Amino acid sequence: MLTDGDLVRRARRGDEHAFGALVERYQRPAYAVALSVTGRHEDAEDAAQEAFLVALDRLEECRSPDRFGGWLMTIVRNRSKNLVRREALRETDEVPPGARSRIPTPDRVAETSELRGLLKEALMSLPEMQRQIVLLHDLEGWKHREIADRLDLPCGTVRSHLHFARRVLRTALQQVPGAPDFSMRAVR
Amino acid sequence: MNRYDDEITDELGRDMELAEALCVFDPAQGDPNYWLRFRSWVLGAAAKELSRRRLMAQPTVGDVVLSWARAVVPTALVTALLAGVLLIRESALNAPIPVGVEELLVSEIEGETIPMMLEAEEALVVTFASEIF
Repeated sequence: MLTDGDLVRRARRGDEHAFGALVERYQRPAYAVALSVTGRHEDAEDAAQEAFLVALDRLEECRSPDRFGGWLMTIVRNRSKNLVRREALRETDEVPPGARSRIPTPDRVAETSELRGLLKEALMSLPEMQRQIVLLHDLEGWKHREIADRLDLPCGTVRSHLHFARRVLRTALQQVPGAPDFSMRAVR
Repeated sequence: MNRYDDEITDELGRDMELAEALCVFDPAQGDPNYWLRFRSWVLGAAAKELSRRRLMAQPTVGDVVLSWARAVVPTALVTALLAGVLLIRESALNAPIPVGVEELLVSEIEGETIPMMLEAEEALVVTFASEIF
């Protein structure tokens, strides 16, 4: 598998496949980071997509191509913050368009909606860094070391943020009827 | 270790139940093609910039000439310098020895010329005018 550095060097020469591979590798974490800042699906999507285009325009400014992930996440955070400032008053639909394409049962809709509402409320009550870390770790499956490298934080800080974020989210989830039993936490 | 570490080290793995709950935030949950569309959108929007980069990366005639010049000019300079040094050394070795004018006048005249003339004169029968009359 090609390293980020190899892909960045090829993308600098206009290699579409290399840039596509970078997008594929980082689209989910970029979206998670954007969502942790904006809290809204549409804004997160816009910010993540814009961030990739900005990154391509400024690819020469990426001084350490092997650390492309961390550099990209900084762009994502900045774009997301700009978007939040710009569109502070905009009303958006928080449900991903894809989620609407399914035809779920009314019960499922109610459950998902309640879970989403509670989780979102709990997530947004967390400091931004904790939101990013818990989404990157528990949603995207990044390891502590990867998060620490890419967010430029000590590994201990990442673990600490994760611990507190999880505690808040679990408390919120215990209020959802039919939610997983977090007293018997399964850590795999 | 601080007081949090004992609690925290228990949770180094991924909390799969929390991950499952957080999946409500994954746009692909109800739309498996979401990330494919995301990628396609980004690549579509990036096509112009990628194409510009490809053009910039392609070598033009000027680039080829320049790349040749980069190799040829220093080589030619070094060669010229070497040739110059060799010529100077060569000419220093074969430099003309300064010769005086008088030396130059006799430089290619053989030493025997005068005696030979004298011998020839000796061989001639010398007839004086007074003897004829």
